[in-house]
Formats: sequence, C-alpha cells, structure tokens
Amino acid sequence: MQPAVQLDRVSKSFRVRRARGGGLSARARDLLRPLTETVQAVDRLSFSIAPGERVAFIGPNGAGKSTTLKVLAGILRPDAGDVRVLGFVPSDERQRLAFHIGTVFGQRSQLWYQLPPRDTFALLGRVYEIDRRQHRRRVDALTALFELEALVDTPVRHLSLGERMRCEIVASLLHSPRLLFLDEPTIGLDVTAKAAIRDLLRTESERERVTLILTSHDTGDIERVCTRVIVINHGRLLWDGPVAALRSAVIGNRALEDAPLDEVIRALYAHGARRRCTS
Amino acid sequence: MTAALAKYAAFSRVAIAQVRHERGDLAGRVAFFAVILGVFSSLWRAAAEAGLPMGADPKQLLWYLAITEWITLSTPQIHLDIQETIRGGDVIYRLGRPASFVLGELATGLGLLAVRLPVLGLTAVVCAFWFTGWVPPAATVAIVVPFGIAGAVLLTALHVWIGLLAFWMQDVSPVYWVCQKLLFVLGGMMLPLHLYPEVVQRLAALTPFPVLLAAPASFVFGAGLLAPAALAARLALWCVVVALGMRWTFTRAAAGLTINGG
Repeated sequence: MQPAVQLDRVSKSFRVRRARGGGLSARARDLLRPLTETVQAVDRLSFSIAPGERVAFIGPNGAGKSTTLKVLAGILRPDAGDVRVLGFVPSDERQRLAFHIGTVFGQRSQLWYQLPPRDTFALLGRVYEIDRRQHRRRVDALTALFELEALVDTPVRHLSLGERMRCEIVASLLHSPRLLFLDEPTIGLDVTAKAAIRDLLRTESERERVTLILTSHDTGDIERVCTRVIVINHGRLLWDGPVAALRSAVIGNRALEDAPLDEVIRALYAHGARRRCTS
Repeated sequence: MTAALAKYAAFSRVAIAQVRHERGDLAGRVAFFAVILGVFSSLWRAAAEAGLPMGADPKQLLWYLAITEWITLSTPQIHLDIQETIRGGDVIYRLGRPASFVLGELATGLGLLAVRLPVLGLTAVVCAFWFTGWVPPAATVAIVVPFGIAGAVLLTALHVWIGLLAFWMQDVSPVYWVCQKLLFVLGGMMLPLHLYPEVVQRLAALTPFPVLLAAPASFVFGAGLLAPAALAARLALWCVVVALGMRWTFTRAAAGLTINGG
C-alpha cells in the first residue's frame, strides 16, 4: 500500500541575517554588506506514514516541525531529499495536492471574521470545486457532527474560541481531505473544548480514514488523538514509535515509568540533546 | 475555465456579503463624499465670483471632482487586508489552497468595488446635480462610466500590488501614501491636468495615474485628455504592466518565504 506521507533524507535550510551589533559603522556595514548564516531547519529527515494513521509530530520550539509541515504542504521546497504526499511531489504539484489535504492552524484563522461560518464554507466549496449538492450535504453532516447547527449562521466575531476552532476544523474537512495537518489545534481552549475537539478529530479520522499529522505541545492531544509519535529536534529524527512505547524511549530512567507524558517528553528532548552533544 | 471563474467569483461574493455587514463604512464614505463636493462647490463658486482665473467652468470642475472622487473613494484599501493576512500569518491557509492568492485578493477587491461603485456613483450624480443644477450630456456620461469603472479596477489591482509588498515590509502604508500623493498631483485628483504646468503634464503622461482619474473625468470638459480609443489602449497597457508586476512580486515573495521560513 502506498504511504500517505514519505520523506527520504529531506533537508531544508534558511539563510538568515545576523546583526554585527551596536554602533553606527556596524549598522552601516549591516546595510551595505549584511552578514548571513545558514540555519539547518530540517536535516536529513526520513519517515513514512501509512494512510489512516494518527501521528503526533512533536519537538521543542525551533525543532523544524513547522518547516517540515510546510514542506509537506508544498509551501516550501526542500533543498535535498525526496518527499511524496499522497503520491504527489508537493513542491511541484502543490495545487493538485491541495485538493486532497486540509490544514488547521490553531493560532491562525481561515474564517471571515465579520461573516457567519456558512459564508466561508460556501467560498471553500467553490475553491475546492465541490458539487453544490454534495457540498450542502457535507456542510450539514459536519455541522451536525461538530454540533454547530445553531452557530453556523452567527458571525465569527460572536463565537467563542472553542466554537471558532470547531468551525475551523469543519472548514478544513469540507473537501474530504485524505490528509489533515493540525498545528496546535487546541491551543488556548478550556478542558471541555479540548476534549470535544480531540474526540471529534479521532472520530472523523476513524470514520473517514483521514490521516492526521498533529503538532502540539499539549500531551493530552498526543495521548487522546494519536497512536504514533515522531519526535524531532534540530531538524533530525529523535524518536519514532507508538505513543504507548514513548516512556521506554528514555532508556534506563526508571523514575519516569509512571511520570506524566510531558515529563517523559522533556526528558526525551534532553536525552536527545545530550546524545547529539556526545556524537 | 468555468470552475476557475466560479472560484474567483466566490471570493467576490464573500466580499459583497462583507460589505452588507459593514454598512457603516459605506455610509461614512457617502457622507464624506457629499461634504467634499459641498466644500469644493462653495470654493469654486466663490473663486468665480471673485473673478479669479479658473481655467474651466466651475460646474464642470465640480463634476470633474465628483468623477475622480467616485473612482478614488470606491476603490477598496485592499492592501491593508493583504498586509494583515501576511503579517498575521493567515496567509499560510491561502497559500495551501487550490487557488491563486493574488487572484483571490483581486477578486475580493473587485467584490467590494461592485458594491461601492453604484452607491458612490449615485451619490456623485445626486450631489453634483444638487450643487450645480447641471448634468453633463448623456453621451459624456456613457463614456465616463465605463472608463471610470476601468480606472477603479486598475487602481484596485495597484492596491493589491502594494499589499503584496507586505511580504518584505512590516508596513506598506508609506508606499500607499506616496501612491496617493502621486495620484493627487499626476492623476489630477482635485484639478484637471490641463491646469498644471506643462512639465507636470509631461511627467504624468509617463505614469499610470492620469488614465486612472484625470482621463476618464476630463470628458466632462467636452474633449477629453485622451481620445476614448487612446485611453482604452493606455488602460490595457497599464493593466498588463500591473499584472506582470503583481506576478513578479508574488513569485519573488514565494522565494522569500523559503528564505524566511518559520
């Protein structure tokens, strides 16, 4: 079976400007001959995800998660390595791939703020070239599943964060994507709203066999939604395996056997950092 | 082709729906427009009564202003929305969709224009007639309206282009204000270009600004700044230039995204 996502030794670096420091002459030199350095955001990263899998893609800030997601969505072109998403090469076939993937960014919005979500849903129906009748059925089904019937005609500015986030997820699922990228989908939500979002994501993934790739710093998202964890740091793969086996990842640390998952992950980051220093 | 048109028409429809929710903004523009025409009507009447050299009939001058302001006030400040989308990071959603970001923004701007042009056009006619008691001949109106609409469309595209600069600049307002000032002078926003020194007229001819405002509005004086065929050709030329400019800017911006990352 063809994997939903396949990365083979993918690298991506950026050139960033570095200031020379204070002083007028340093600033003048910054302007005329800027200093740049290369930052390796993703470094020979390889992994594969099967269709229908629910994968947590985690790492500390600056680990390269967002860059990897943008490479997978075709927004960024990798410097080296091969990427295949649903059989497409994302950077070359971004528009075609876009019909099959959905994205939810917890700190961003795709809904028109002054308008009811239904207007954005209608726009997205056209953007994704969905047949009108099919689109209406899909909106009805998803608004029922996400319990949004009473809110779908309320302007977005009147919705709570949790209600808005449910609408964001519906907007991302309208075109029945086979792969959904979720970047911190529960950030800022209260415990009830978080639980509802997690349940809905799991249900939708199981029902429609949607592959989920979730990045989050909230271990609750990982435990409740995902079955597998991929941990990266400094753009490199640190650990890849089932969520249940994550505790055994920090080898030899018996104290962590019953520790909360976030402590285990913190230890894993530190362990990875030490291992990187040693190597 | 049909699907693509339907796609971008949907952006325009959502923008039209947005105007319905922001009626206050439109009402403010109508009031501002009426006040401006009232003030300038009094000013030019007073100037004519004082025997100052006007260079044109005060009635025609007011209709000229009504047309240039109709175009200017109808054009949405879409560059601010684009800037907000880019700076706020929501652009990441737009780039991941099977639709052109630039065409989507342009279609949104045209949707806003589709509501504002008729409303402000009616305001222009009612106020200009109220203050002058005169209406230009029907043949003049028949030329002014299509060229005015074309000017507003091109100006909207220019604003989209300015908005795209937000991929590099934190704030595109300085570029917008420079453009506005150039429009004021070289576009003949307040006074027709034939009243300016010749050097200004020559300079203006090298820019797109006269075809946006002065040329469509100058038909109220009888002979226009440019003949209709010449104006149509100039508009088409500047449309191509702006379209290529937007394309080039966005392509560079996409490469810039790769450099900036994050």
